[in-house]
Amino acid sequence: MIFREAEDRDLIAKARRGGVEAYNLLVSRWEKRIFNYLLRLVGDREDALDLTQEVFLKAYQNLGKLDDAGRFAPWLFRIAHNEAFSLLRKRRPETDVLPDENHAQRAFPIELSLAVESALARLSEEQREAVILKIYQGFKFEEIAEVLSCPVSTVKSRLYTALDLLKDALAPIHSRGVQ
Amino acid sequence: MSCSPDAIKDLLFGALEAAEASRVKEHMQQCAGCREEFDRLQFTQTALHALRDEEPPRRIAFVSDRVFEPRWWQRLWHSGPQLGFASAALLAAAITIHAFVRPAPEVAAVPDPAAIEARIMAEVSRRIEPAVRAAVAEAEARQKEKADEILAAARREFQAQREADRLMLSTLAEEFTLLQKRYNVLQLASADLGVLR
Repeated sequence: MIFREAEDRDLIAKARRGGVEAYNLLVSRWEKRIFNYLLRLVGDREDALDLTQEVFLKAYQNLGKLDDAGRFAPWLFRIAHNEAFSLLRKRRPETDVLPDENHAQRAFPIELSLAVESALARLSEEQREAVILKIYQGFKFEEIAEVLSCPVSTVKSRLYTALDLLKDALAPIHSRGVQ
Repeated sequence: MSCSPDAIKDLLFGALEAAEASRVKEHMQQCAGCREEFDRLQFTQTALHALRDEEPPRRIAFVSDRVFEPRWWQRLWHSGPQLGFASAALLAAAITIHAFVRPAPEVAAVPDPAAIEARIMAEVSRRIEPAVRAAVAEAEARQKEKADEILAAARREFQAQREADRLMLSTLAEEFTLLQKRYNVLQLASADLGVLR
């Protein structure tokens, strides 16, 4: 992680001086994480890909405003968060299409991911984002608070409520045991 | 220690200090409910990882575009050594130029109040007088029109009155003539009867 940060710093410094190739390298190191964060948040591949593109374009244009290159990850995820919620706000009047809720009743490993997907889709956007940032992206609570621009207590509250809901949603699988 | 769902979750995410973590673990050894809760949370966390990361459908890459590239001064601004050198060079050049070219201190021109007032008055006159003239002319025209109207109305009234008086005089004259004639007739009649004798 330290090496990764050091390499990121180097690439950021080169990109700031106009090095497009250095920036492309930086993108290649982060695009999968950003894409998956957005995919789980907005639930649509095309939207997630468009947003990922937008996030990296905005990051390039605003690279000069990044005070501490060591804080690149929370800064980048903050941009992604803004882009995602901007899209979600536009979508809000429509009813989200939720995955089949019967997935949780099935205990086959091949369908466990569908059950998880279904359970995640039932969370509020804020709760889902807290789960994604903590469990899938492995951020510390303080970093998540920085990304979401809210207190750590709020992050914990959202995450723990979400975890209780997920626990209940996945309880049938737990009681049967995954084959 | 009593049961605390949040403390169990803190333990799950490694968000507790060592001493506090030990206390929660000790409690769990004696509390079947909390043990089961921790087990279910661990299962949930593991189950969430069944959702694998996906590869982006397309790679994202940028090409060199002058529109998005930083300007020369932006590059300079973000490069410490170059910026320092440029600042030092600029300072040295400024000192040198100042040493050779010393501009005479300029005495700030004190504005003359009388001249300013005269200019203001001239400007006021230039802008106000035509407007005043036009306004006066318009008011005069309106007054004249109104006076003409009043005069014409008075003339019409005078003519009507004069006509009425003339008619009345004419009627009086006719009545007087008629009375005169009747008087004459009465005179003649009384003479015939010898009343007046």
